[in-house]
Amino acid sequence: MNRTTAGEVGGAGGAGALALALLFALTAWSAQAQLTPREILERVDANMTMTTARVNAQMTITYRDGDVRNLIYDAWAQGTEQSFLEFTAPARDAGSRFLRLENAMWIYLPRVGKSVRIQGHMLRQGLMGSDFSYGDASENPSMVEDYDATLVGEEVLDGRPTYVVDLMAKPERRDLAYQRRKVWVDAERWVPLKEERFARSGKLLKIALLGDVRRIGDRWYPFRVEMDDALQTDTRTTLQMLSVELDIRVPSEVFTLPYLEGGE
Amino acid sequence: MSDLPKKRRRLPVLRLAWRNTRRNTRRTVLTVVAVTVAVTAITFMFAYITGILGNLVDSYARSESGHVRIRKDGYTERERLMPVYLKVDGVSELLAVVREHPDVEEAVPRIRSSVLVDGAGSNRPGLLLGLDMDREAAYLNPQDMAVNGRPPRAGFAEVMIGTEFAEKLAIHVGDTITVLGQTAYRSLGGLRLVVTDLASSGMSFLDNSMLVVPIDQAQLLADMPDAATEILVFAHDPELAEPLAAQLKDSLEPHVSGDIEVLSWLDQGPLMRTMQMMRPMLAVVMGLMLLMAGMVIINTMLMTVMERTQELGMQAALGMRRSDIVFLIVTEGLVIGLIGGVVGAILGSGVGIWLEHTGIDFTAAARTIDLPFQGMAYPDWRVSFPLIGMACGICAAGVAALYPALRAIKMAPAEALRQ
Repeated sequence: MNRTTAGEVGGAGGAGALALALLFALTAWSAQAQLTPREILERVDANMTMTTARVNAQMTITYRDGDVRNLIYDAWAQGTEQSFLEFTAPARDAGSRFLRLENAMWIYLPRVGKSVRIQGHMLRQGLMGSDFSYGDASENPSMVEDYDATLVGEEVLDGRPTYVVDLMAKPERRDLAYQRRKVWVDAERWVPLKEERFARSGKLLKIALLGDVRRIGDRWYPFRVEMDDALQTDTRTTLQMLSVELDIRVPSEVFTLPYLEGGE
Repeated sequence: MSDLPKKRRRLPVLRLAWRNTRRNTRRTVLTVVAVTVAVTAITFMFAYITGILGNLVDSYARSESGHVRIRKDGYTERERLMPVYLKVDGVSELLAVVREHPDVEEAVPRIRSSVLVDGAGSNRPGLLLGLDMDREAAYLNPQDMAVNGRPPRAGFAEVMIGTEFAEKLAIHVGDTITVLGQTAYRSLGGLRLVVTDLASSGMSFLDNSMLVVPIDQAQLLADMPDAATEILVFAHDPELAEPLAAQLKDSLEPHVSGDIEVLSWLDQGPLMRTMQMMRPMLAVVMGLMLLMAGMVIINTMLMTVMERTQELGMQAALGMRRSDIVFLIVTEGLVIGLIGGVVGAILGSGVGIWLEHTGIDFTAAARTIDLPFQGMAYPDWRVSFPLIGMACGICAAGVAALYPALRAIKMAPAEALRQ
């Protein structure tokens, strides 16, 4: 998924990206007028990808029949390739864990006591029945690497100036779940504020709305993500970040199968 | 017909007719064989068509619809997603109420759940069926599906897997598999299950994706004790399904929270509707078969009687009354029809009843279609089929004899003799 979903705060690039981000932050306002679509993506990547992150968030799934489910999880991420997520509430879901290493994903449920690797079209199923898919959690979050961009316009969205960028998957990335994305990028904070994700056929798959953008250090980070799976019409899912720590030290054993199956 | 006498002649017609049939053995045998073949075909094909339709309807009832099906309101609409959260609660109480109804033969709870099955490192989506292993014996019959006769036991973490599904997952009897599926709280649940046997239902769509577990294991996986996604009710008399559904809905009303859907098998889906629509179509097919059989008989009769125009002319020239000639020929036709009809009815019934017991094996063909059709077809012989066949044979033979006889007697005897 992109770095905001399910707390997978991806972090591409490491120190280089950080330096780049600083550079962009300093020069952003003055350079805006001449920005190419690629530069816009680079700035988004620079702002949104971190070396490491730890997120505590509440996932709220609202059903058409009025039912509401609240889940709390803790997530750790390192680079773009590694993330770990554990549900802590409610009690019946506590201890359900998910590990992503590159494009592979494992699920561990306490009652099963053994991890299961999921693959193929299963990655497109909803994470814990939400509008976020497992695949959303194992996608490489770098927009520049995966997509070719076209600037289609500038709009004001919720009072913020945005660039509207159309992304087409690069020919070598035919494997991506979303072959086309239309992204509304905050023109000053380099945070996507809205996204429409499409299949190769052109069918709309998901709509994401990002908000509650807060400053963390020299970055801007969306604390709220609303996701609507256009094919799963029964539900709508909102992630509200409760705490976000960026570029912190994360124990490396977190991203291993023994940790997934063994716990603390 | 105007020249037919009104008064009956006292001619030993039957004796004459019988003697005539023996005069030209080739001619008689040819006609009798034609009638026999036609009546055999009718008797058998009627049994066969009725049997195939009955088999489809019966398979569908046992695997999908029951005679009455009870579900949570809204489940059917989302059936494709197998939403276990749309469940029928308090199943044991509801089953007790349903089983009290005098028209109910049995009621069984089932859970259908869409799951991910993890075998030897690879995983695939599958259809998990939670069954009451004992009570299903006469319906979905898991015991019969078990290839080695070891279905999972109630109360144990055991599973039986469709043969082709197991093959794709490289799973063998004795292996332990992990199953992940949705819970009634719409989150993710999982189970570890020991494979006790492979399952072969003969229905391709099941053997490709099916897992059969005791219903208690399905309830554990979906976190829904004493609940099921549906209750199937089987009536003593399937014809009573519609009124039974209405009565059950009323008697269950005080016992359920929220709305439930109680539908007879005729109101559930397009398949049974199609079946209902097929009945008149099959009647047309059967009618056409009768017509064809009749045509075969008529054709042969025409040929053999036309051949005798000269003979009939001679009889007329010798002074035999025309009406007697017609009567005699028609009686000959009826005698031949009767002989062929009886032989045909016996042959057709014999084959039909024999295959009704042994069955016709379509297993290979059934694997390629996605219908609840269990591979074996059993004709359904009924006493009316040979009777219909015989009636067709006798009438067709009689009618067929009438025309050439009438034609011959209308000619001047000299003209008939010349032919």
